[in-house]
Amino acid sequence: MKKGLLFILFLCMGIMVFAQKRQISGVIREESTNEPLPGVSVLEKGTTNGVVTNIDGQYQITVSANATIKVSFIGMEPQEVVVGDASTYNFSLKPSSEELDEVVVVGYGIQKKTNLTGAVASVNTKELEARPIPDVGRGLQGLTPGLNVVVPSGEVGSDPILKIRGQLASFEGGTAPLILLDNVEIPSIQLVNPDDIASISVLKDAASASIYGAKGAFGVILITTKKGASTESVNISYSANLSFQNISKKIEMGGVEALEYSILAAERVGATATGAFWKVTRDSYERAAQWEEQWGDVVKPGDPMLYGRDWYVDANGYKLGLRTYDPYDYMIEEWTPSQQHNLSVNGKTGKTDFNIGFGYLDQNGMMKTAKEDDFKRYNGSIKVGTEVNSWLKVHGGSIFSKRVKRYPFATASTTADPWLYLYRWSPIYPLTTEEGDPIRSPVSEVAQANTAFQETNYTSMNGGFVITPVDDWNINFDYTYANQEYINRRPGTRYTARNSWSSALPKYDESGSRIYVNNAGEQVASTADGAMEAYELNLLTYTGVGANPDRIYRIAQNKKWSTINLNTTYDLTLDEIHKFNFMAGMNRVAYDVASNWSQKTELIDYNNPQFDLATGTQTAGGSEAWESQLGFFGRINYSLKDKYLLEANLRYDGTSKFPTDLQWRWFPSFSAGWRVSEEEWMKNLQPVLSSLKLRGSWGTIGDQTVNNSLYIPTMSGGYNNWIIGGSKLYDFGTPASVAAAITWQDITTLDLGFDARFIDNKLGVSFDWYQRDTENMIVPQEGLPTTYGTSAPKGNFGSLRTNGFELQLDYNHRFRNGLGLNVVATVADAKTKITKYGSTQVVDSWYVGKTYGEIWGYETDRLYQADDFVYENGELVTVTSSDDRNVYQLADPNAPTQGYLQSGNFMFGPGDVKFKDLNGDGVINDGSRLLDDHGDLKKIGNSTPRYEYSFRINTDYKGFDFSVFLQGVGKRDVWGNGFFAIPGFNASDGAMPEAMATDFWREDRTDAFYPRPYNLANSNNKLNLVSQSRYLLDMSYLRIKNITFGYTLPAQLVEKASLSSLRVYVSLENFLTFDNLRDLPIDPEEIAGYSMWNSSNYNLSRTGIGTPTFKSASIGLQLNF
Amino acid sequence: MKKYSLILITLVLLAFTSCDDFLDRPSLTEMNDETYWSSENNLRLFANGFYENYFVGYNSSWSSSYTPLRSYYFSDDFTSRGKQGGFETQAPSSRASTSSTPSMMTTYAGPSWNFSWVRKSNLFLERIENMDAGILTEDAQNHWKAVARFFRGYEYSRLVSVFGDVPYYGSVVADTEQDILYKDRDDRTEVMDKVYEDFEYVLANMRLSDGDAQYLNRYTAAGFISRFMLFEGTWQKYHLNNTDKASKYLQMAVDAAAIVMESGKYSFSSDFRSLFGSQDLAGNPEVIMYRHYDAALGVTHTVASYSNITEGQGTAANLALAKAFICTDAKPYQLSSVENADKLDIQNMVATRDPRFEATFWDTPKKESATLLYADKFIDRVGPTYYGSGYPPMYGSNTNTNDAPVMRLAEVVLNWIEAKAELATMGGAAVTQADIDASINAIRERPLDDVAIEKGITKTAPLLLSALPDDPARDTDVPALIWEIRRERRMEFVYEHSRLLDIKRWNKIDYMRASENPDIMRGLWIDFQSEFPEWLVAEKEGVLRVENENGTIVTYDGTNAAEMVGYFVPESIAERDEFTDRVYLAPVGNAQISEYTDKGYTLSQTPGWN
Repeated sequence: MKKGLLFILFLCMGIMVFAQKRQISGVIREESTNEPLPGVSVLEKGTTNGVVTNIDGQYQITVSANATIKVSFIGMEPQEVVVGDASTYNFSLKPSSEELDEVVVVGYGIQKKTNLTGAVASVNTKELEARPIPDVGRGLQGLTPGLNVVVPSGEVGSDPILKIRGQLASFEGGTAPLILLDNVEIPSIQLVNPDDIASISVLKDAASASIYGAKGAFGVILITTKKGASTESVNISYSANLSFQNISKKIEMGGVEALEYSILAAERVGATATGAFWKVTRDSYERAAQWEEQWGDVVKPGDPMLYGRDWYVDANGYKLGLRTYDPYDYMIEEWTPSQQHNLSVNGKTGKTDFNIGFGYLDQNGMMKTAKEDDFKRYNGSIKVGTEVNSWLKVHGGSIFSKRVKRYPFATASTTADPWLYLYRWSPIYPLTTEEGDPIRSPVSEVAQANTAFQETNYTSMNGGFVITPVDDWNINFDYTYANQEYINRRPGTRYTARNSWSSALPKYDESGSRIYVNNAGEQVASTADGAMEAYELNLLTYTGVGANPDRIYRIAQNKKWSTINLNTTYDLTLDEIHKFNFMAGMNRVAYDVASNWSQKTELIDYNNPQFDLATGTQTAGGSEAWESQLGFFGRINYSLKDKYLLEANLRYDGTSKFPTDLQWRWFPSFSAGWRVSEEEWMKNLQPVLSSLKLRGSWGTIGDQTVNNSLYIPTMSGGYNNWIIGGSKLYDFGTPASVAAAITWQDITTLDLGFDARFIDNKLGVSFDWYQRDTENMIVPQEGLPTTYGTSAPKGNFGSLRTNGFELQLDYNHRFRNGLGLNVVATVADAKTKITKYGSTQVVDSWYVGKTYGEIWGYETDRLYQADDFVYENGELVTVTSSDDRNVYQLADPNAPTQGYLQSGNFMFGPGDVKFKDLNGDGVINDGSRLLDDHGDLKKIGNSTPRYEYSFRINTDYKGFDFSVFLQGVGKRDVWGNGFFAIPGFNASDGAMPEAMATDFWREDRTDAFYPRPYNLANSNNKLNLVSQSRYLLDMSYLRIKNITFGYTLPAQLVEKASLSSLRVYVSLENFLTFDNLRDLPIDPEEIAGYSMWNSSNYNLSRTGIGTPTFKSASIGLQLNF
Repeated sequence: MKKYSLILITLVLLAFTSCDDFLDRPSLTEMNDETYWSSENNLRLFANGFYENYFVGYNSSWSSSYTPLRSYYFSDDFTSRGKQGGFETQAPSSRASTSSTPSMMTTYAGPSWNFSWVRKSNLFLERIENMDAGILTEDAQNHWKAVARFFRGYEYSRLVSVFGDVPYYGSVVADTEQDILYKDRDDRTEVMDKVYEDFEYVLANMRLSDGDAQYLNRYTAAGFISRFMLFEGTWQKYHLNNTDKASKYLQMAVDAAAIVMESGKYSFSSDFRSLFGSQDLAGNPEVIMYRHYDAALGVTHTVASYSNITEGQGTAANLALAKAFICTDAKPYQLSSVENADKLDIQNMVATRDPRFEATFWDTPKKESATLLYADKFIDRVGPTYYGSGYPPMYGSNTNTNDAPVMRLAEVVLNWIEAKAELATMGGAAVTQADIDASINAIRERPLDDVAIEKGITKTAPLLLSALPDDPARDTDVPALIWEIRRERRMEFVYEHSRLLDIKRWNKIDYMRASENPDIMRGLWIDFQSEFPEWLVAEKEGVLRVENENGTIVTYDGTNAAEMVGYFVPESIAERDEFTDRVYLAPVGNAQISEYTDKGYTLSQTPGWN
């Protein structure tokens, strides 16, 4: 096809040879400064004939008579002129004011950006190009203020979490924005091929989102795909990216120091050994420290474990480890490759336009020992439109997206996956081999696990037409059917390894004689000096026949959406100054989901787990659910002299989620704008103030993104674990307590803002302030004590209010020498408060006035030191405190007593945490935990991200481009949970970050940050580690999200290769992160308990325990034919 | 053409919007409370939801609540290395739950502050009462009401055993009834009177058989009723000195137990170990109800693995428990004429004590036990033979499949005889030799298994009223007969549900003080040189200790191996923290008290706690 086009071009040129030629020249200047512009392209339109201005902005070109010449320069508005008789044509170029003409996709239509009255952000899709990111969601992070994107883990194939304006809009509802692809809801932003996208709009306030009604209450992300070309052409583009990923923050775990912590914690309570399957004793700790000196540099990760050198069995039969293992060495694969390819063909022929796109992504995870750990996505899309006649246009399209994730099926558990165990056990838990056999550990289980896959196939078919009965009147009909098929296959196995969980066995040689070794692990004669009887771990298949994971499991699920959009628009202009746009329509969505699963135990062939090759128990199950929404809506836009803008929306919404009499509701919204700069009296401020628009909006949207049986006392059935007559008992549970009247939650947003541009449109400021009220919020009824016997019924009992702002600044400038500069900075903030929730005053509940995410705790003073206490014969003295508790006597008789915070065998002593007596009553306690009696508690932080900001700088010069993108969160606090966040969380299990293991209080390290060792036995909120200011995690961060350096080859060069453009680039993603986490191995974006496998209690909600996030380095190219 | 299109669109629009039921999409996969109660079978399906919670057996997977060994290890029978586990030292910040997963507080051997099961049984009862006669015969209705009332009584019995006074709810409370929801705790006696009424109904109305013998029937219920009524009867007597109530409850304990004993359906024809280690308890005539396990169905437990002699027993049987075992001549060791009865080392005790000693403990010192005395009661005779090699899944990890007895005849007869004996002290009929023969002596007549016979174990002689032993260790305030009944319980139920609750109801929590009961700080007699030389190593110098016959603590120093003869002193042992009588009952959480204050109500704290 390309050759054909060239041939046609050649013919045209041949014809032109015979046309009359003439030479013209001129100077091209920049309008505001009147400086000459070098490098401006001057082209005879419709030909390849062109020149470039010299350093003085001059050009000279020979063109045919009556030719049109086009002058264009990046960042400037192009100009055209028809060549007449003159020989000199000078041009003054204005900086391009894309702003002025830019259109933005809004609900069921487009709107000139200048006429927008709602809070709508359009994303510059160019910023998504050339970044080694697997999906659009990750790319959107930091691009638009008010759109919060969090990437909580590095699990390949997982969705980022998207939220618009604040973390919480409702307790019960989704809080997730509605993601629409060409006006049809999609289940995941992952399925979109970034290359297919023509535009992305983020509708943030009620007025702009309300037209989408029932599901758009928490904002809408509107993605429009590329259509065919508007002019006769065929364009082919291809882009590729190859990247290498590595962990973004190294996980530094404590070695011998962690053992020291464990043994000190044990000794503190009078124990002499600690640990679950492997023990630490004073003796073993001291020998482990020697091991580190003697063998630390000699024994490499992966070297086999040797009895005598690396471990020993003591007289109690305990297994004691001397060698420490760093899970990082065994589990994390560094620099794993990923690649991405996109190809699209776009064009128009006759009355038919088309766009065809293909995409391929292959991303590798970092689990080192996994047979397979990767994610692949295949995209295909086609969109065709044709004009049937003057009043009818028909279009159709289809999208296909296939996502395949492969991962080791080590366990079906999502609350304790291999990552949890990897960072649970003390560093002496062996991760290597013994006698050539693997040793039971997450590492060996992942290595033996068969590969599970989950496949998500999304297919949508879309068709519709536009009827234009008369000019300015359109009727649009669109029907989309989408089907998402999800398949998850989990082939099990049985694990065989040296069982490090059970007792060691005496080691014998082939003749049955006991083997003796020395302390280097070498076999010696029993009489040799230092000879000891050797042990070994028991090699066996330690998972039972038919027991987890000796089974094959498969689930298939289908989600189906049937969406009808029907609307009609009419434009009316009266007296040239009154412009109206009327729109009315309906939207109807039916959704259903059905799934079934089956499982069979006792596999015959562990290399090929199949249902037909399994002999055990078969089980099966399934589920079905459905819902529907129907909405009717209307919109009027009115513009007076293009200066005064008004918009009004009304929507009548129905949903299947509520009782019949409460299903339907009306929701209105309004917005208005005033383009102040269009007023005559503002004209003299030009060009300093190029434009200014004030905006305001108010509207209410109903939310119904809740379970459809909240008002029904449902009873669900299931098998329990009691067996009668050879089968499990099936039981129906207690009906939930419900409120019969449950209806829509009302989300009302008031938004005030302005858009201004200064200095010839070079500097832009856009600001929004908003207040979003969630009223009639569905919450559990407040004030039901435990004696109620079940969870409180939910109803429309609560309200909350979110206040926030968004600010975006941008600056564009092109220097005379051709250097272009584009800077964008954004900052956004949101804060949510409870405005209605019963009468409770309990600080832990949702009392009225509570800020969402607030954390209550004590204020830490410091660590107690030895001289804070009284001694008798060198022993601490126990006395009874004023609040009747046994405490160690403090040297200062007036010092506050902390006995209230003690429990079990713990008493505050030297090295423990000292709290501040905020209310000065001499006793550290939390009162009644009521607002008017909370003792020494105070609000110590807030877990919601505040002050999210981003900064981007793009430069280009003579084909080179360079950009840096920074993104961060100004403030976020988390009270952590688990081994990475709480020192001594479980000192018996033993894992501990290096940062803690080297900085806890000892008599010879009294300035330590962390307190004296104590085993908290899986608690994250008691004793020394009761919620308090000192150990609150500061999750604020600044991340250099992306650095890209690219080069676009000169047009003349690439044309020789029949290309129209070619760009190559290198890009670094997530490369540097600055945080305040004191070297703890926690990613500041992480959300404890959240992953694609379990969104509420993944890995027991332990902070930082999960697939680590990664950074990547990539190279790529983009070319257009 | 244009017009036709427009009409077409309008029609399409109308077609879609005129469906009235488009928005009518109820849940497809759940039943609705309003329509569920339509058949007796549905009642059974609802009742099935109680089994896992009330008939826990060995629980399942890694869950350990209410299981022997894993949860019932806090009493005067058991001792750990280092400092002994203590009672809680102050009221918890919060103690409340609405979870329906079985969960137990070890130091109270009972549930947390949780009323979800109260609500469930009340709701069940109300639904049954509202069912049409057309669906349910009167007999059936009475039976299912009895089932609901049994579970309600069960729940209140154990709530009272933990907290004492608790608010009583005899019906489902609506969310609007704040005054009722926030009422303060009701007196325990009032509560137990309501429980008594429930149990009266149960004993009169529950079916004798409800199909498969494993479904709750009157005999199973009666077994539990005898347990709860014995508890409350003795509590009333020993804590509240309320003889009227004590007699009332104890009489019901006797009556309930009699229903089982007189049924003729159950007998002591199984050996002791088989009650706990069998893969299938169906047909075991001593077992009234059991929980079955099956790996193929994915229902397994961990209790056998903790009994397999390799898995560590960090809390293990102590000298006090061992001394309590009766000698085979039915006399305590101080009075026994059995040869070597006064030698308190493992080997001699196995040979001279009641056969349950041999069936409960491994017969040589085991380093895996904190006291060297290792309980292998909850596994069959084969499991421990894998020691030193790998264990098959049925004996290791969480993949064990031996069945758990939930209610067995031995408990019923021991409840019966104790209640009778207590009644006799309060004016009731005296206990007769026939009563003893029907209870304690029937248990002692249990057959021995082959392993025991091979070891030369013999049955214990019957207990004779005419020759009641006068145990020199007996508390002066306990009559000799009751002392022997308590001893029988203690031997029978090692590591099972009863010991902590027993010493609580007898007002004998002092047994957990080493100052009053020094034997809880010691293991059995041991001569390390002959019995356990592998600990006479350098590593044990300064660590290994015994208390010799002079009462002197001897510490191994590498040279005094011959002196290492005496009662074993567990490593680094230290006494538990001092406690007061408040530990008989659990405190409620501070947060719960605040919650009441917040609403202008009062929730009283348990006496003695702050």
